[in-house]
Amino acid sequence: MALDMEHLLLQVQKPARYSGGELGSVMKDKKDVFIRFAFCFPDLYEVGMSHLGMKILYGLYNREEDTWCERVFAPDADMEQKMRENDIPLFGLESRDPIKDFDFIGFTLQYEMCYTTLLHMLDLAKVPLLSAERDEQYPLVIAGGPCACNPEPLADFIDIFILGEGEEVNIELNNLYREHKKRGYVKRDFLLDAAKIEGVYVPSLYDVTYLSDGRIEAITPRDTAPKKVRKRIIKDLDKAYYPETFVVPFTDIVHDRAMSEIFRGCIRGCRFCQAGFIYRPVREKSPETIDRQSHALCQSTGYEEFSLTSLSTSDYSRLEQLLPQLLEWAEKEQVNISLPSLRVDGFSEELAKRLNVLRRSGLTFAPEAGTQRLRDAINKNLTETEILETARRAFSGGWNAVKLYFMNGLPTETKEDIRGIAELGHKVVDEFYHLSDRPRGKGVTVSISVSCFVPKPFTPFQWEPQDTMEQLQEKQKYLLSEIKTRKISLSWHDAKVSFLEAVLARGDRRLGAVLLEAFRRGFNLDAWSEHFDFDAWMDIFDSLGLDPAFYANRRREKDEVFPWDHLDYGVSKAFLWKENQKAHESHTTPNCREHCSGCGAACFKGGICVEDGQTVVQ
Amino acid sequence: MLKTVRLLFSKTGRARFISHLDLNRTMTRAVRRAGIPLWYTEGFNRHPYLTFPAPLSLGYEGLAEIMEIRLEEDMPSDELVSKLQAVMPEGLCVFEAFEAQRKAGELKSAAYTLHFTCPADPVRELLAQPSIFVEKFSKKKVLKTVDIAPAFAGAVVEDVENGCKMTVTLPCGGEGTVNPSLFVTALKQKLGEDIPCHVVRTALFDPDGCPFR
Ligand code: SF4
Repeated sequence: MALDMEHLLLQVQKPARYSGGELGSVMKDKKDVFIRFAFCFPDLYEVGMSHLGMKILYGLYNREEDTWCERVFAPDADMEQKMRENDIPLFGLESRDPIKDFDFIGFTLQYEMCYTTLLHMLDLAKVPLLSAERDEQYPLVIAGGPCACNPEPLADFIDIFILGEGEEVNIELNNLYREHKKRGYVKRDFLLDAAKIEGVYVPSLYDVTYLSDGRIEAITPRDTAPKKVRKRIIKDLDKAYYPETFVVPFTDIVHDRAMSEIFRGCIRGCRFCQAGFIYRPVREKSPETIDRQSHALCQSTGYEEFSLTSLSTSDYSRLEQLLPQLLEWAEKEQVNISLPSLRVDGFSEELAKRLNVLRRSGLTFAPEAGTQRLRDAINKNLTETEILETARRAFSGGWNAVKLYFMNGLPTETKEDIRGIAELGHKVVDEFYHLSDRPRGKGVTVSISVSCFVPKPFTPFQWEPQDTMEQLQEKQKYLLSEIKTRKISLSWHDAKVSFLEAVLARGDRRLGAVLLEAFRRGFNLDAWSEHFDFDAWMDIFDSLGLDPAFYANRRREKDEVFPWDHLDYGVSKAFLWKENQKAHESHTTPNCREHCSGCGAACFKGGICVEDGQTVVQ
Repeated sequence: MLKTVRLLFSKTGRARFISHLDLNRTMTRAVRRAGIPLWYTEGFNRHPYLTFPAPLSLGYEGLAEIMEIRLEEDMPSDELVSKLQAVMPEGLCVFEAFEAQRKAGELKSAAYTLHFTCPADPVRELLAQPSIFVEKFSKKKVLKTVDIAPAFAGAVVEDVENGCKMTVTLPCGGEGTVNPSLFVTALKQKLGEDIPCHVVRTALFDPDGCPFR
């Protein structure tokens, strides 16, 4: 006998992940609804529910009276088994209706390793995976998020990619769909029309041809599709939609708190960091807006904590004005403020104490590289003196643990740079023991965490080869041998996962076949190490005659046509190449606030590029 | 000494999937949303005083559950109820507030109804046995065999549409608790298959058999 949902939920772990009904979740009367939208996060509830972008779009869509947006997450293995046994297709948490009957299925692509989960979810929804096999009786499958800047590996599966920020373009797309649905929706007509909206990329309207060695020859638009699709940005964040409430989960999630976005983009331009380029230009919210939105969110959700989110909290230009303003009500109402990615050094003792800066986040630094030479090459502006001084201050204040984040395999990295990681660790340890007022009776622990560099599209390193796994493992061994004290603990990311990320990040359409085969072999939730099977992945590449090293470990020529060359994120290829060359000379580039370097993002006519009136137009 | 306020609430529908731990968090946030001045413990890690004298198992519905809070300042009961009710998620409904009368330790028993998706006969047969042995974990996490027949002696079974319904009052509180799931387990043992069962806790009682207040 097939179980009904109520009984089924009693047989799985943490059923509150699938029950729906959380405070803030939106229920609508189906008879008033014309468009159904399934917002899918291709990972577990705990991860997806922590994601700010989803909360924004959920609120945004549901503000449209005739549109009902519901949440969908990847079910955990036990739930999936129960669903398959009882023939329950993937459903929206709010209505529990199968999403195969919706108008849209929308995915957010936050990391490459979610691609197999995405396919898995489509299958669980009983929707054909291939875009070409979905006719008018199936939902349109759309996707956005950072990985949409090179979505080519997913081009066969997704009907529409949204480039850049979604607040405006998603609604424009929804409006267009409404018109089409009213007069009888024909998929092909709709896609042609949609491609006229800026920020909308319809992959099926482009032909890709390859050279005999596997590189791309050309990407050619068909019909009326634009030659280049430019991403969208929100120019004025003070006027942009921001949710007044969040869905408040019952069960514990990764980031269970209110979140206030304080700015988008990053002034820095660290050369390995994709976010630093694809979200340009920097646009700040005013302290008044942040204060109002944060307070409203805490009151409507009851959260006892909120975080200020951005790529680099310390770079918010009016932090000294904002924080006391927030503290005024937060302290009264027993609300904690969390400040991720904050540089502790610039803070007054008093403010640091009121904010509990250290207690909440601990002392962490991300020097990324072990020597000043390499930090200059990657344009990471953090000096050894800054690190040691902040550490000293924290040790005097009773702290005895420091976390340091590094990357292995950065372009131009030498043995000396790797030794530099160990040396920096040792210096932090020494700093502790040289201090006369260090915490008594305690030792110091320095945790060094090392990830593997993954070259990404739209960064100055998009031309660079990734180190081979053997090279990375060699480097890890060498670093270990350079660590001379038990006070330092060392951990790394799996080079195999990073290798696959590198393949997918700069992959082309031919990888669609790899993903499809991975799906057929049952791969799912690859972002979770217990599910990830590297050898099986390599076997697939083998069987399809594709060489993953072609994507991950190959140095590209300056003028090679990239799979993402028809997508325009403002930042020009010429600028990125210049940055690449500067990296090889270990020359730094000033941040956008010091000096505009003419990256190309001024084309959006917003944010820092226009505020300072100093933009270099090229 | 601050007054302890007890709130009666129901937990039904989708809300029955909220675990006990999650319910604490959910209610704390609801009280905060309502702008009710909760009393916070002093010290380094301040937390609000908010407890449940009789935790309800995940998946059960409860019609008259109890939550205890302490407030910074007094608030009329009906204001407390209406403010809270305005901010509750689906399935949670606060309907009465009063000052605690009994000590939490004086909670004695609870009434349940169990809806089985099977005919009444096997349920009656099982109840008629002189002893019903099931295994359960003791507080110290060791598996032991217990006889639940005495606790279920007063159970009443009737036929309903799509199955049968058992009504039973079981020990619940400081002096010992018998979870109705033990009977579901025993029935599964007897029939050799899982019988979906929907459990509702309908009331909590003091030693006099009156609603616990
Ligand atoms: S155009 Fe200039 S100011 Fe604008 S993002 Fe680029 S470098 Fe920064």
